[in-house]
Amino acid sequence: MSIVIETQNLSKVYNPDTIPVYAVNQVNLKIQRGEFTALVGPSGSGKTTLLNLIGGLDKPSSGKVIINGTDITQLRPNKLIDFRLHNIGFVFQSFNLIPVLTARENVEFIMLLQNVPAAERNKRVETLLQHVGLGDKMNARPAQLSGGQQQRVAVARALASKPQFILADEPTANLDSAAAANLLDIMAALNREENMTFIFSTHDQRVIDRALRVITLVDGKVESDIRR
Amino acid sequence: MIFTIAWRNVWRHRVRSLVIMTSVALGVWAGLTLNSLYIGMGNERLKIAIENEVSHIQLHHPDYAREFTQAPVMNNIQTALNQIETVEGVKAVCARTMAMGMLATATGSAGVQITGIQPPNESRVTQLQTKIKEGTFFTASKPNSLLIGAKLAKKFKIKPRSKVILTFQDASNELISAAFWVEGIYQTYNTALDEVMVYVNQPDLNKLLNLTDQAHEIAVLLQSDDFTASGKNKIATLFPDVKVQTWKEISPDTELIIATMTQASMVFVIIILLAISFGIINTMLMAILERTREIGVLMSLGMNKLKLFTMILTETLLLVLVGCPVGVFIAWLLITYLSENGLDMSVFAGESMGDFGFSNIIYPDLLPAQYVQIIMLVLITALISSVFPAVRALSLKPVEAIRA
Repeated sequence: MSIVIETQNLSKVYNPDTIPVYAVNQVNLKIQRGEFTALVGPSGSGKTTLLNLIGGLDKPSSGKVIINGTDITQLRPNKLIDFRLHNIGFVFQSFNLIPVLTARENVEFIMLLQNVPAAERNKRVETLLQHVGLGDKMNARPAQLSGGQQQRVAVARALASKPQFILADEPTANLDSAAAANLLDIMAALNREENMTFIFSTHDQRVIDRALRVITLVDGKVESDIRR
Repeated sequence: MIFTIAWRNVWRHRVRSLVIMTSVALGVWAGLTLNSLYIGMGNERLKIAIENEVSHIQLHHPDYAREFTQAPVMNNIQTALNQIETVEGVKAVCARTMAMGMLATATGSAGVQITGIQPPNESRVTQLQTKIKEGTFFTASKPNSLLIGAKLAKKFKIKPRSKVILTFQDASNELISAAFWVEGIYQTYNTALDEVMVYVNQPDLNKLLNLTDQAHEIAVLLQSDDFTASGKNKIATLFPDVKVQTWKEISPDTELIIATMTQASMVFVIIILLAISFGIINTMLMAILERTREIGVLMSLGMNKLKLFTMILTETLLLVLVGCPVGVFIAWLLITYLSENGLDMSVFAGESMGDFGFSNIIYPDLLPAQYVQIIMLVLITALISSVFPAVRALSLKPVEAIRA
C-alpha cells in the first residue's frame, strides 16, 4: 500500500522564547492509503494540533508534513489552500456547515470551488447524500437537520472533493449513541468499499473500537501505535 | 454560489440589514435632493442674472468704466441694434443710456443709477416689465416718467405719480436737474439693485444728456447660454471698436456663486457618503465578527482569499444595491414634483433670499448624468468601505477562526 501521509520530526511549540509548550513533539508517522486510524489520548495531548498540522491548517514549528510526496509545510499560502481543496477532506467536531446553504449546496459548494462541471456536480451531490442516508433531506438547511444528520452532510461534503484522505476532529463528540454509530457505519463502509483513508481524533471508545489503527499521543509524543 | 451565500448572508440579520439599507436609501435621497436644490438655486440665480441684470452679452465703448459719470458712448445705435439682431442665436437686443446721479424727494435724497431704456426693446431683453408692483410700465404719454425700486420707494414713501428730482452731469460736465414723475414701482429678486436703480425713457435721458443716436450699453439676450461664446465672437467681429463681454466677464460673481454652490453640494454629498461608509463598515465588521468560525471553515475547505474577498465585496454591494434604487426613486419623485411646482423657500427663510439675488421659489433640477454620478459615488463608497472588513476577514487564520 502507498503512503499517503508522512510526518518527519513534526513539532509544534507554543511560547518558544519564554516557557516552551510542546503541543506536538517530534512526531514521525506514516499513514498508508485506506487506513482507518484513530488518534487518541487525553485532553491536551496534541491530537487536534496534529490533525491541524497534517491538514495544513496550522504551521509547524519544525519538521515536515509530506502528502503524496509534497511537503505542504513549504507551500505558499495560496498554494496550500488550493492543495487542501483538492487533497484533504475535513469533518469538524461542531459540523461547521454553512448555515445559509442547504445540505445539497453545502456538498456542492466545495465542487464549485474546484470548478467541477454542473452535471457532474449534481450527480455526485445526489450520490453522496444518498450514500450517507440523506437523499430526502437535500434541500434542508443545517438548522432543520439533527446533529447526526448535519455530521453526515459534513462527511458527504468532505468526500465531495475526492480527497486523498479525510481528517475528522472528534466527529462523534456532539452526537448521541445512535447517531454516532450510524456515522461510524458510514465512515467504515466508505473506508472498506472505496478505500478512503480516515484519520480521526477521538475520546470516544466506540470510535476507538472500530479503528483499524490506534495511535496514542501523550504530551505531544506518540506513545503507542497499534495496528489491528 | 458566492452570490447566493452573500445574498442569504445579507438576510441573516434582517433588521440590521434593513437599517443599513434604509440609511443608504436616505443618504442617496438626501444627496440627490440636496444636489438638485443647489443646482436649481444656481439655475435660478443665473436666470435672474441673465434676464434681469446682465443679459448674455453686453457691448460698451472700450473706455467705458463702471464709474461712468463721464462714460464714453457708442454711436449709430439703431444701426448697431439692427445688425446684432441678425446674428445667429440672438433673441432680443436693447440699448441703454446711463447716468450716475442723485434722487431727491420731499423726505430725503439718495445716490442712484439712472438708466434710460427703450421700453419695448427692454421688455424683450429683461423681465423688468413683469416686475412692476404698482403703477405701469411706461404706458403714460407724458414725458419724464420714471420707474423706481420698491425698497427705495418705501424708504422715501414714494408712490406712483409722486414727483422726484434727478440731478446728474451731462456730456459737457454741466449739472442738470430735472423733475420726473413716478409711473411705476418695480420689485426684482435683487433688493440691493432695487435700492439704487431707477429707469427712465431713453429719449428723455438722451435729451437731457445732449445725446442723439447714442447709448452707453447694448444688451443682447440669446436663445440660450449655448450661443454665448459664438455670439460674442460674431458680434465682436461686427464691431471691432467696441468692447464685447459675456455675462461671465461682466458678472464673475454670478459664475463664482454657481461654482461655489456646486462645491457646497459636493461637500454635503461627501459628508453623506462618509456617514454611509461608516454604517457599512460597522455592519460588515459585525457580520465578520459573528461569522469568524464560518469564514475559518470556508478557508479550511479551500476557499481562496480572492473568492473570500469577492464574497464580502458582493455582500456589501448587495446591501447598497437594495437601498440605493429606493433612495434614487424617492429622490426622483420629489425632484420631479418640485421641479414643476417649485419649493417656496420663504417658508424657511422669509424674503431674505432676494437680498442675495436669489428667487424665493427654487425649482430643483438634476440631469440624468448627475444621478449616475451620485450613484457611482455611492457604489465606489461601498467598494472602499468593504475593503477594511474584507482585509479583517482575510487576515484570519483558519485554525484560530474555527475555534472562535
